[in-house]
Amino acid sequence: MTLSGVQLVALLMVVGMFLLFILGGLGSKLRQASDYGFSGSYTGLVGSGAAIASNWMSAASIMGLAGLFYLKGYYAMAFVIGWTGGYVLLLVLLATQIRRFGKFTAPDFVGFRYESATARTVVALISIVITIIYCVAQFRGIALLVSWIFGLEYQAAVITGAALLVGFVVVSGTLGVIRNQSLQYFILITAFVVPLMLINRKLGYFWVLPQFGYGEAVVTLQQQFGYYWSEPFASIDLFQWMALCFTLMFGTAGLPHVLSRFYQAPSMRDARWGVVVGLFFISLIYWSAPAYGVLARLFDARSGNPYKIPDPSQADLVTLTASLQAGLPVWAVGLLVAGGMAAAFYAAAGLLQSGAAAFAYDIYPRLLKPSATDADKVTVAKGVFLVLAVMVMLLSLNQVGMIAEIAAVAFALAGNTIFPAFLLGIWWSRTNAAGVLSGMLVGVLITVSTPLLGDLIPWVNTVFPLTSSAFIGAPVVILVMIVVSLLTRPPSDEIVTFLIRDVHDSGGK
Amino acid sequence: MSDQKERRRSINIFLPLPGTMQGEVRVIALLLLAWLASVLGSQLGIWLLERSADGFWLTDLIFFNLPIHFWISGQFLPLLFIGLCLLFNLWMDRHEVRHMESTIRFRATGRKKGEVAP
Repeated sequence: MTLSGVQLVALLMVVGMFLLFILGGLGSKLRQASDYGFSGSYTGLVGSGAAIASNWMSAASIMGLAGLFYLKGYYAMAFVIGWTGGYVLLLVLLATQIRRFGKFTAPDFVGFRYESATARTVVALISIVITIIYCVAQFRGIALLVSWIFGLEYQAAVITGAALLVGFVVVSGTLGVIRNQSLQYFILITAFVVPLMLINRKLGYFWVLPQFGYGEAVVTLQQQFGYYWSEPFASIDLFQWMALCFTLMFGTAGLPHVLSRFYQAPSMRDARWGVVVGLFFISLIYWSAPAYGVLARLFDARSGNPYKIPDPSQADLVTLTASLQAGLPVWAVGLLVAGGMAAAFYAAAGLLQSGAAAFAYDIYPRLLKPSATDADKVTVAKGVFLVLAVMVMLLSLNQVGMIAEIAAVAFALAGNTIFPAFLLGIWWSRTNAAGVLSGMLVGVLITVSTPLLGDLIPWVNTVFPLTSSAFIGAPVVILVMIVVSLLTRPPSDEIVTFLIRDVHDSGGK
Repeated sequence: MSDQKERRRSINIFLPLPGTMQGEVRVIALLLLAWLASVLGSQLGIWLLERSADGFWLTDLIFFNLPIHFWISGQFLPLLFIGLCLLFNLWMDRHEVRHMESTIRFRATGRKKGEVAP
C-alpha cells in the first residue's frame, strides 16, 4: 500500500519495531554501561549470546552480505568465514583476559596496559575513524531503505536518514539506546528469517529450514539455466580471497565495539560462554543470507535474464527485491524492511555514541581541557555526536561501495592496529608503549597504502588491498611492535606483575 | 640463572609460565591449529579441485541440498568454529575448577597436590 510514493505498511512496521524496542527497554532493570556509549544489558548465557549477536548485527549482516552473494556468489563466503572465524580468535586469545583487565573501553585498556596517555589517545582516534567508516556503511543501508520507503533519490535519502537518526537519538535520549538486547536479537532474526521461509514455501522448497531449502534454487539455476552461481573463486583469486577472509577475522578480534562486550560481561565464564551462544546466533544470519542472493538470481533467471549483470548500487537491497519478486504479503516485506532499518539505525546510533564518548572521555580532557568536569564531557559528547553524524552523512552522499565492502575497510583498520595491540598486550609482557605506538602507526599507513600509494607502487594494490590489508598487514605490525619494543625500555615491573598475577592468573610463579 | 629468573617474571605465549598457563597455551595452540587448518585446508582443497577437476564438478556434487564446497564453507565451517569455541570453554571450565581446588588445598594445608606431609 503506497500513499504519494510512501510505503505506508513498511513505514508503520518500522515505527512499530522501534516503539517495541523502546518499550522493551523500559521494562529492563538490568545494568547499563551507557556512560561509555555502549548499549546493552544481559543476563544468563542466552542473554549474553544475544547481546553479542545483537551488538554485531548491522546493515552489513542484514543487507550487505546478501547483496554480495547476489552480485559475486562464492566471493561473499570470505565474509561468512571471516566474520565467524574471527570469534574463535577473539575467544581463545582475548576474551577472558580482556575481562580480567577490568577496563571499559579499548583506549582504557591500551592506556593502562602500555602506561601511556599517547597510546590511549591514538587508540581513541583510531576507534573514532573506525566508527566513521563503519557508520558510512550503516548510512548506506539506511539511505537505501529510506529511499524505498519514501520514494526518494539516494542523496535525499541519505540526508533524510541522517536527520531521522539524529532526531531519534535527540528525542529519545537514553531510551534510544537498546536496553533489552535479547529482545532486539530475536526480533531481528525473526524479521530476517520469516520472509525467507515464506519465499521458500512459495517456491515449493523445504521452508522449515530455509538455510538448507534454498539449495534447490542453486541446483535449478545450474540445471535449468546453466548458471553456475556457486562456482568457487570465479571472481577473485585464492590469495585475494584468503586476504579478505583473514582481514575480516583479525578485524573481528579488533573492533572496539565488539571487544566492549567482554569488558561488560558479568563474569569470565559469561564472557567465554557468551561467545559460543553469540556465534551460534550470528551464524543463523550467515546461514540464511546466501539464500536471498541465490533466490534473487533465480527470479532474474525466471524473468529471462539468467546472466544478468546486476547494478551494484542496488544489490544491497536484494533481500527486499527478492521478497517483492516472490510476491510476499506486504506485512512480510514490511517486516524485512523494519529489521534492516532497525539493525542499521541502532548500529549507527550506538557507534556514533561510542565514537563521541571516545572523544569526550579520552581525547578532550587529555589534549584540550585537562580541567574538564563531567558536565563538560557530556556536553562535548553531544556536540561530537552531531559532528560525527554530519561527517558520516557527507561521506555517504557518494555511493563509494557496497555496504559489506565499506565495513570491510573498518575491519582492515581494526585488524592492522587494535588487534595487534591487544594480542601482544596480553600475550607478551615485553611489549611497551613505543612498540605499540610504532606498530599502530605502521598499521594505519598499511590500511591507507592502496588509495595513497597504489598508483605509484603497483604491488601495494596486490599485497595491501583496501578491504583486505590485514592479512599481510597485521603480521607486519606485530613484527614492528616486537622489534621496537626490544630496542626500547621494557614496561614497568608493576604492569608485568599485573599481567602475571591478574591477567594470566599465574599467582606470580 | 638470571635468564631463567627473567623468563619466569614475564609473559610470553611461546614460553608459558609453569602451571596454569602452560595447559591453557597448549589448548589454545591446538585449537588455533585446527582453526587455521580448517580454513586454509578447505579453501586450498576447493581451489585445487576447481583447477584440476573443472569447477563444475564441485558445483554438481550436492550435499545437504547444496553444492559440496558451498556447504563446507557456508555451513560447516561456522559450525566447526562453534564446536572449537565449545571445546575451549569446556576445557577452561574444568581447568578453572582444578585450579580452584589446588588453590584451596594449598591454602588449607600449605601443600601442593600429591605432596606428602613431612
